[in-house]
Amino acid sequence: MRFSFRVLALSCAIAAFLSSSAVTAMAANQVPLGADLGGSGPVTARTGEGHPSGSRASGVLQLAHEGHADVHVTGTVNAVDPAQHKIKVSHNPIPAIGWPAMTMEFGVAPSVDLRGLKPGTRIDFTMEQAKGGMYEVQSVTPAGGAQ
Amino acid sequence: MNTSTRTTLALAAALALLGSPVQAQSPAPAMAMPQPVMDNGLFAHILLDQFEGRINGPNGELRWDGQGWIGTDYDKLWIKSEGFVTSDGKVEDGRHEFLYDRAISTYFDLQGGIRSDIDSHPTRNWAAFGVQGLAPLFFDLEATAYVSSGGHLAARMQGSYDLLITQRLILQPEAEINLYSKSDPARLVGAGFSDIDTGLRLRYEISRKFAPYIGVTYDGKFGQTGTFARNAGESANDVRFVVGIRSWY
Amino acid sequence: MKPRALLAGGPMLTRRRFVQGVAAIGLASLAPWPLRRALAAPGAEGVLRGTQFALAIEPVELAIGGRRAMATGVNGSVPAPTLIWQEGDSVTLAVTNRLSEPTSIHWHGVRTPSPMDGVPGLSFPGIAPGETFTYRFPVEQSGTYWYHSHTMFQEQTGLYGALVIKPRQGYAEPFDRDYVVLLSDWSDDPPETIISNLKQQSDYYNFRQRTLGTFLGDVNKDGFAKTVSDRLEWGEMRMSPTDILDVSGAAYTYLINGWGPDANWTALFKPGERIRLRFINGSSMSIFDVRIDGLPMTVVQADGNDVEPVAVDTFRISVAETYDVIVEPRDNRTYTLFVQAEDRTGYARGTLAPQAGMAAPIPPMDARPMRTMTDMGMGGMAGMSMDHGAMNHGGMDMGGAGAGGMNMSGMDMSTMKMTSEQKALDGQVGVDNVAMMPTQRLNRAGEGLPLKLRVLSYADLRALKRGVDPRPPSRTITLHLTGNMQRFMWGFDGKKFSESGPIELARNERVRFVLINDTMMEHPIHLHGLWSELENGQGEFRPYKHTINVKPGETLSYLVTADHPGRWAYHCHLLYHMEMGMFREVHVA
Repeated sequence: MRFSFRVLALSCAIAAFLSSSAVTAMAANQVPLGADLGGSGPVTARTGEGHPSGSRASGVLQLAHEGHADVHVTGTVNAVDPAQHKIKVSHNPIPAIGWPAMTMEFGVAPSVDLRGLKPGTRIDFTMEQAKGGMYEVQSVTPAGGAQ
Repeated sequence: MNTSTRTTLALAAALALLGSPVQAQSPAPAMAMPQPVMDNGLFAHILLDQFEGRINGPNGELRWDGQGWIGTDYDKLWIKSEGFVTSDGKVEDGRHEFLYDRAISTYFDLQGGIRSDIDSHPTRNWAAFGVQGLAPLFFDLEATAYVSSGGHLAARMQGSYDLLITQRLILQPEAEINLYSKSDPARLVGAGFSDIDTGLRLRYEISRKFAPYIGVTYDGKFGQTGTFARNAGESANDVRFVVGIRSWY
Repeated sequence: MKPRALLAGGPMLTRRRFVQGVAAIGLASLAPWPLRRALAAPGAEGVLRGTQFALAIEPVELAIGGRRAMATGVNGSVPAPTLIWQEGDSVTLAVTNRLSEPTSIHWHGVRTPSPMDGVPGLSFPGIAPGETFTYRFPVEQSGTYWYHSHTMFQEQTGLYGALVIKPRQGYAEPFDRDYVVLLSDWSDDPPETIISNLKQQSDYYNFRQRTLGTFLGDVNKDGFAKTVSDRLEWGEMRMSPTDILDVSGAAYTYLINGWGPDANWTALFKPGERIRLRFINGSSMSIFDVRIDGLPMTVVQADGNDVEPVAVDTFRISVAETYDVIVEPRDNRTYTLFVQAEDRTGYARGTLAPQAGMAAPIPPMDARPMRTMTDMGMGGMAGMSMDHGAMNHGGMDMGGAGAGGMNMSGMDMSTMKMTSEQKALDGQVGVDNVAMMPTQRLNRAGEGLPLKLRVLSYADLRALKRGVDPRPPSRTITLHLTGNMQRFMWGFDGKKFSESGPIELARNERVRFVLINDTMMEHPIHLHGLWSELENGQGEFRPYKHTINVKPGETLSYLVTADHPGRWAYHCHLLYHMEMGMFREVHVA
């Protein structure tokens, strides 16, 4: 341990002595330069194969920061909280995302009408992850009943 | 059955179990093909958890407590050793264990083997059986039961916890207690709850493998053990200041 | 295991950053450059083109951060020379082993015939010391790839290099220059010492743990009761939210094309040019977050396959992944290429400049991420107390730790039982956690990336070409990514490679792989020989990847067409995880 401190102290001293001259000199001559592989060369214009809008000129993709596949769930309504727009549901296992059966509360998307839901109603619903990673109910259908 | 036969049998059993196939391998093709990954490798480490001078005026003692193991993820051989060397050169409370260790759950291992109490007092040998592992809230725990050749029972429990004051400054409370079913006057050990050795050590990890420390220990002997100690002119309750090094390899 | 693994008590670790910052300048200016590698001229990165190659694997002395060490080099250099192939050619590579131990080279992401894939034990027996093995195969794909040893820990000691395959039809969009940016981690300790240390103390390299100071800080911020409850919750799980990378900057110097941050690797440009940067994460254990302040990047290729361009400010690149980006620096100024390790214990750094010798300021490192209950597989739910008896699992608890904005109150846990699959894993020697509610979150890149920057996520990757195989999968293979941090054991479904058999696929079968990450660490999962089509919501334009990073507590799926016969390696690309059991054979008949 003491040995390496000595080496360190010595190198600090040398560094201080050399630094002003050495670093700038090193900078100009000895900075490792990346090897340019040569660029793309001449480019043949061609349509993007299978691309829906036919060409790259459609521009840069928007970051897909919302939306991926909805998760489909079946369960029974335990309670409805109209003020907070939430429902408490006992739902079946959801193998698509590896969830076991649970009883839990969900926030519900504003577009969903909670008025027809009563405790005991069996429902099919979809849920999607909203901000913060929480699942939010996107649509509700009475299970096995009319749309 | 005498001690040496029992020792030999325990050793043989341990080695036989170690040699038994613990890997399920996919059928090897004809040529000498190596395994793409060697995931059942042998590792070995030695930890000298306590190596300290215990100071209380003129009655200083040297204390050691270490463990070592060699083996694979599932099967290991362990060696444990602890004891004191007193200021007059006597070795006290020597306890050495040689155990076969089998991982049985996420955090706990089952251990079995032999224990030999070798020091300046008469030697005793025991069969040992216990568990060692990490309990919830990160407590390190060891609990071992022993049976001597004469059919006497004993038990030892040890626990410790690492509290990080900073990344390298760690406070470790630690305690070990011993119980015996029958007194052993030649070794100054009484029946029942015999003794507790506990300490609070503050170590600074210069590196993970080398950490000097200071601390305070309490060494208490109770019941018959306490009586034996006092009759032998020793103290039954000692608080000592300690300085030592914790290291592993 | 080689005897080296026994009693490998290595040298004492001194504070890496201290050595780097101070001694690097001093000693580096003293050490003659030729010692750095056999190529004496600075910047002369080895680039080999053509169809016939001779590669010699030999020990090379390396000086990084002021220390000298022996590395595993190819043709005298670390990294190995960049190879440039042409799609449609057949290449021949004579690889000579001048080490005193066996070696191998695997062409990562390249679909060679199985005997040419370079995995000892699956493709071939390996290359013995003194032997020359000749790889010979047609090249039927294009893009940025890399190659590395598949023997023991040689990938950690320097045997890695870039591989650029030029497209047969030429590039669709022009660029004026292109540079390989090969990121890696270099360790002072030999890799056998690293793994031995981790086996004895799994947090050996974590010097950012929670301390008394952190506790008092949290009490100040969140109150005593909440802080104690948080500590109890993590403590009962015997987990630490500070576990980000198993091996940190305490052991590693992070390199760009083999150069440490002080060397200032520089890529030159003329203002107004389009520059293509081929980022390759050739490290053993380090996940990097890349950004160039002042210069947005347009991602055009991932894992060798072109994607619809995506403009980002930063991206996370996991081990073995590649991302090609286009940058268009307009001004006559200097930019810092800032590559931080995910745990913020160090960074790699380069410069984009109009001339050599310039350097832009290096920004401070971002705040370190912490694991959350979502990472533990709690599905983003927190703030609940729980009935342990009803929970029926290995000492796990849910609580209000970490992730803010959680307000799932009123959740009744008493009906929550583990599935039989989860129960089978719980409590096994090789398993320390089972994700109760794994989440699908491909549209999130992970913890620790600044919220106000545009961050690339897997959901953003849209292939330029429609997928080749339109069939839906005929079956699903579900695998749990498992591990036991304390024992440093890793595997699939709780088992190491040596405890498992191969995964069998029928020829031309179309299967869906579902991965559930039961651990609290990222795992970049790499399947040799077959493309993994990640189901990220892009439908038929799902990206073709060779390495898929599964976040802690995450579940995702991908489709595979078993169109290539052979015995293929399938493993986590974190080198020490792979070697400790996180490996399987996928056998296509």
